[in-house]
Amino acid sequence: MLTLIMLEFRKLFGARSARLAALICVLLPWIWPLAPRLKAVYNLVIVSGWQVPTLSLITITQFLLPLLVALTCAEMIGTEISQGTLAPLILRPINRSRIIVAKLITALIYPALLLAILFLASLVAGLRFGFGDFSGGTGLGPGLFVGVGQLSSSEAFGQVLRSFLLDALALMPIAALSLLYAVAFLNTAAAALATLATIQIMNMLVVFPEALQKILITTYLDLYSRQGDLTQPIILMVIYTVGFSLLAVFAFEKRDL
Amino acid sequence: MRPAIEVKGLQKKYKDQVVLEEVSLGVKPGEVYALTGPNGAGKTTLIRCMTGLAFPTGGEVTILGRDVHTDGPRARANLGAVVEAPAKFYPQFTGSQNLSMHAQLAAMAPGPGGSGGKPKRVSRDRVREVLALLELTRMAERPVGQYSLGQRQRLGVAAAILAEPKVLILDEPTSGLDPLGIGLIHRIVTGLATSGCAVILSTHHLREIATYAHTVGILTGGRMVDSVDLRARQAAYRFRVDDPLGAVQTLSALPFVKKASARTPYAIAHIGGEARVPDALAHLSAAGIRVFEASPDHFDLYEYYRERVEQH
Repeated sequence: MLTLIMLEFRKLFGARSARLAALICVLLPWIWPLAPRLKAVYNLVIVSGWQVPTLSLITITQFLLPLLVALTCAEMIGTEISQGTLAPLILRPINRSRIIVAKLITALIYPALLLAILFLASLVAGLRFGFGDFSGGTGLGPGLFVGVGQLSSSEAFGQVLRSFLLDALALMPIAALSLLYAVAFLNTAAAALATLATIQIMNMLVVFPEALQKILITTYLDLYSRQGDLTQPIILMVIYTVGFSLLAVFAFEKRDL
Repeated sequence: MRPAIEVKGLQKKYKDQVVLEEVSLGVKPGEVYALTGPNGAGKTTLIRCMTGLAFPTGGEVTILGRDVHTDGPRARANLGAVVEAPAKFYPQFTGSQNLSMHAQLAAMAPGPGGSGGKPKRVSRDRVREVLALLELTRMAERPVGQYSLGQRQRLGVAAAILAEPKVLILDEPTSGLDPLGIGLIHRIVTGLATSGCAVILSTHHLREIATYAHTVGILTGGRMVDSVDLRARQAAYRFRVDDPLGAVQTLSALPFVKKASARTPYAIAHIGGEARVPDALAHLSAAGIRVFEASPDHFDLYEYYRERVEQH
């Protein structure tokens, strides 16, 4: 199994969309420290390096990151089909389920990888502001950027790390959904488009009763910024991820290729 | 001898369209089976079903007694295949890396293997050996993206034979190859068959395969309309004589003649080999039949194929 997962990661690192996504994650954090009109537009003055990861996370999570994740995960099947490399893989004496599970594991780790790159790039970009104790907030804890007084660097690190981890979790169902669509359509563009359309349609369902909203993935795309008890949304994200993953495995097992 | 690969009553439908209809065939160890037929006859679908890439609507495919669709990994542990021409590889990896990856995957076969043994580990030496066999050593460390069509095709065959399969399935193996490349593939296929591997290849090059295939299956309209045993056909000799019917009568009476027929001005006899020709000539002469010429009666597979396809 490890062989298959390693192979998937090798292919992932070679994928153009994954490289582009990584480049975006490296470059995006540099906008904030260099932005001259940050105060004029957002009434925000960066006082600590810990605020840079937050700004990067807020701007990338709502649209760009789901797009990048959906595209690359769709490509994990779509490119293999267009290159014709999936058939030789299946001709080897391996269960189809192991092949798709290896792809799923890679797809589910992929958002965390992108967020790790974003996090590291944000830390480098925020170096000039320092990472010591400061008066204010990270934007991810109580009082948001204003904060509730003095914040120690370890607290700030904890808040930022927690948010990045929660965001990685919130993106997992999108990765699994994209792979499911890729198995169904065997095409990168169709799968990515279907995933984005699903997200957009779910976003539009805000006009429907609140009970329905509570079970939508899109409701929890801001999971990283939520405080308090997150057990229910985390369980929901896990259920969605497992559900989409099982459907993808089942569909792949019986698919003509 | 039990077939190494057996297809029984295979059916494949896409919605209302029937692509394969009750296709059956069996290929024994050491046999080269050529699958031919017009475009759209269902050859690719048949190969995809035989290799487990596609699921049939009915029927079954077994490799060394194991069902390809219900016991896939164990069945495929004995299979080597190229299902597309040219063969497909990860273009960013070198030929050697691609084969090493295939070697690692081949070693993941569930034990015990189809033949009762443990799954074979494919060594680096074996990777080098097949690269050399397919004359790709010079290209081994270059990304496959830089390979020519023919080189990719040869790399495909290298990947297929890497784990020393007992059943080899090749779709258009000589497509895109130059005459030397075609000769190389012929030698490899013949060599594998001699060592006991059952080989199935799909092709349109009838005169080419007639020289080394043992059996030819003609598929048209999704049905296997004929199966020609070339070995039996090629053991025939023709005698140009003054009395073909009399010659047939004389030849039929000989113990080593399996079958004799007249095709004026020839008498055709299946005599089991060249060594019997002088005997046959002696008997014809003794019966007072004048023989002007004796030569092998080459079976024209192309003509036969054309007739069979036109009939359907």
